[in-house]
Amino acid sequence: MTKFILRRLLLLIPILLGLTLLIFVFTRLLPGDPAQTILGERATPENMALVRASLGLDLPLSEQYLRYMGGLLQGDLGRSFITNRDVVNDFLQRFPATIELSLAAMFFAVTLGIPLGMFTAKRRGAWLDQLGTVVSLIGISIPIFFLGLMLKWLFAIQFPILPDSGRIDLIDFIIPRVTNFMVVDTLIAGDFEAFVDALRHLILPGLALGTIPLAIVMRITRASVIDVLNEDYVRTAHAKGLPSGMVDGRHVLRNALLPVVTVIGLQTGLLLGGAILTETIFAWGGVGRWIYDAVTSRDYQVIQSGVLMLALIFVIINLIVDVSYAFINPRIRHS
Amino acid sequence: MIRVRSLVLLVVIILMIAACAPGGSTPVPGTPGTTPAQSEPVASEPAESEPAESEPAESEPAESEPAESEPAESEPAESEPAESEPAESEPAESTPPTGGEPVVGGTLAFGGAALAASLDPALTSDGESFRILQQIYEPLVDLAPGTVDELVGVLAESWEGEPSDTEYVFNLKQGVTFHDGTPLNAEAVKANFDRWQNFAEEFQANAYYYGAVMDGFGPENLISSVEATDENTVTITLREPSPTFLFGIALTPFSIVSPAVLESTNADDPTASTLGTEVVQGGTGAFVLEDYVPAESATLSRNEDYHGEHPAYLDRLIILPYADPAARLQALQAGTIQGLDLIAPADRAAVDGVEGYQLINRESYNTLYLGVNPTATEGSPLAEQAVRQAVSHAIDREGLIAAFYGGGGSPADIFLPPTSGWFDSVSEGVEVYDYDPDAARTLLADAGYGPENPPVVNFWYPTEVTRPYMPDPAGLHQAVTTMLEEVGFQVTPGSAIWGTEYIPAAQNGEYDLHFLGWTGDFDDPSNWYGVHFGYSQGEPAAQFGCDIEGLEAAIDEADAALDETERGAAWNEVASIIQSEVCFATLVHGDTGIALTDQVQNYVANPTGSESFVDVWLSGE
Repeated sequence: MTKFILRRLLLLIPILLGLTLLIFVFTRLLPGDPAQTILGERATPENMALVRASLGLDLPLSEQYLRYMGGLLQGDLGRSFITNRDVVNDFLQRFPATIELSLAAMFFAVTLGIPLGMFTAKRRGAWLDQLGTVVSLIGISIPIFFLGLMLKWLFAIQFPILPDSGRIDLIDFIIPRVTNFMVVDTLIAGDFEAFVDALRHLILPGLALGTIPLAIVMRITRASVIDVLNEDYVRTAHAKGLPSGMVDGRHVLRNALLPVVTVIGLQTGLLLGGAILTETIFAWGGVGRWIYDAVTSRDYQVIQSGVLMLALIFVIINLIVDVSYAFINPRIRHS
Repeated sequence: MIRVRSLVLLVVIILMIAACAPGGSTPVPGTPGTTPAQSEPVASEPAESEPAESEPAESEPAESEPAESEPAESEPAESEPAESEPAESEPAESTPPTGGEPVVGGTLAFGGAALAASLDPALTSDGESFRILQQIYEPLVDLAPGTVDELVGVLAESWEGEPSDTEYVFNLKQGVTFHDGTPLNAEAVKANFDRWQNFAEEFQANAYYYGAVMDGFGPENLISSVEATDENTVTITLREPSPTFLFGIALTPFSIVSPAVLESTNADDPTASTLGTEVVQGGTGAFVLEDYVPAESATLSRNEDYHGEHPAYLDRLIILPYADPAARLQALQAGTIQGLDLIAPADRAAVDGVEGYQLINRESYNTLYLGVNPTATEGSPLAEQAVRQAVSHAIDREGLIAAFYGGGGSPADIFLPPTSGWFDSVSEGVEVYDYDPDAARTLLADAGYGPENPPVVNFWYPTEVTRPYMPDPAGLHQAVTTMLEEVGFQVTPGSAIWGTEYIPAAQNGEYDLHFLGWTGDFDDPSNWYGVHFGYSQGEPAAQFGCDIEGLEAAIDEADAALDETERGAAWNEVASIIQSEVCFATLVHGDTGIALTDQVQNYVANPTGSESFVDVWLSGE
């Protein structure tokens, strides 16, 4: 097992190296550059030349890349061209918010998606199953932006039972940031009311962001459970007279879960980098919005280093998924 | 290898989503749309009630130019009838619906479009950054609340020096301490001026305003010397007279930071400075920075030792970033915030006259124009003055304001907005173009055009952007196209991406007709006409292709005029030439709006967006 993990970790090096080049090329292929962003209407050729020079954008591309790699190898991921802020600091400050939000979304997706998938699979063809299919289709296709605004309108404005935006009520609570995980920080501060408030703030954005993964998890679970239900060993289990709860739990779900776990891993990875719209409408200070802004403003340094860090995390999550896979299915471990 | 594929996929997806997403809107401090000066609200006017603590005042200076930039922000736009806002009018708006004695206490949560690009004031140039930083840091002088052309002393109790002088003497207010407890003195001011002048190259890209006001960096720039003459007197000597100097240093980037904090944050080292990122106590303002979480919140609390007329009434001020205008409005309606800036024009109706809310109109300090370039296309009909005049007569400016600005705006008779202190002198006797489609048709007919051979022009607008002066580029384009076709033009439409394609092409003079606009940095006509029509090595600005006999000389003369009356008259001459030749058709000065709950009292809007919360208080708590 250790060897398996080690091999996978070593593989990271060439992957990440290739990635830096890929991202570097991508950012340079985008039309425009940060000098235009900084200057806007004032982007006369003279002004542009000055700003480009001060950002080092007048150097040949190869030199820019080597400089970037030089910094990277010394652990320096650079500073934003636009804000002059340290990229790693910015990332670390925002990433906990993104993780919190993604976990909330995945919590909804998993706790609702797996039982619903199981439920509809066992009633395959019944009207409840068809309803579930339609609802999950809607879940996949509804724009998050619209869903988020609607959820807020309904639960924060028309029936004000939940907060509309932000991570905590800043007027009522002053929570020192230790980990930047609001849920954790409120506990560290020993303020239970604030903890509950932080959880309440997770509900609407979590629901909005969790809709698509929920629908996907549900559909994959359903398909996978249907497959397993047709297996001989399930029929055998039933024939042996095992209680159907035990058959479902021990034989069906456990075997059906492999593809579901894969999807959960992939979806979590996507959520970490892709919660741009949710973060925008819920004023949630995460990395999705941060990278989005960097791309629109052509802040090369933030794009390069931010995407690299995200990719690293994505790879690690995948590794964790693989390891958990190996635990669930010994055949993989030994192959 | 599945991993590699999914990785690459992830990167591609992230980049694609970001690249395709509706860019421009709501830029964040440094987003495409934002730009130094421009980002930022624009606003309305002085105010009534409560003078605001201002300062000892002592005015003096003469001409003008304050400025700030305007935030970028953007607004979705939509059309929407006019309702709302009388628009324009005049003195402006502040809030006090209930009036009464100010109440001390309470927390105000206020929604902007973004937080600060940097916490180092010298490295900021957008209105969202200024909103936060000007509560914490203060310059030597500032704009009087609600005005764009009147200065009051802040850290300087008084000063000597006129636009025609090269020497300015600032007498500092005594007994002022920075939030870290160290005293403000002449050495502290000198330390800041020296720091800016010697900014490392990496900082220079972000220190837009210092470079613009002081003509670059280093020993060769406008500043000849800054001397601490005695404990409380600073003498600044310029290489040559600068009519924009005094109003320039009223900008937030010229705020004085505690030298002790400059040192402890390594503020001169581009690779180590923490002044822009850490919560430090380096200002003298009415609020101290208590907490700052990037992209989440800036929490400010009252500076009990404030040197102004009174400490702030609010206990705390929390600024929250809502990049999306719809989300910002929802936060107000949900009670998460009690105020917001840059309401979308279409949303004005949701708060204007609605119980529990108030809308403050911030009068425009910007202008949307239609660039009219006679040389973009070979043989362009626009080469004829009469055809250009027809363009300007064809446009129903009031109609555009009603449809796209939620009624918040005023027709732009000339480039300079009426909120400018120079408006009267520069606009005097200048030819203006009313909406008169008949006159436009006649002009075209006289020039030999008719239904059989219409004048053909291409007309461009930018995508992925909105601006306070341009809330809905595509909608405006459609409306103006219709107006032009109405009088007989044949229009070929075109669009391009704002920062990366549109601006370069427009500035290269590739479009017959195009939208663009401007928000003033300083209240000086040179910042409007000079920036756009100044000649470079004998060549007119390519954007307008407007090479008119006498224009170059008129601009040079106006630039050199230091006496206020002469300067006004000289720029009036420039404006006259440009208006009669129709180098561009000025369209609209777009207002912006601040929405507040009716609890919030005494918010004074300023056309430049330079607004202090020191006098704001909450009723009914």
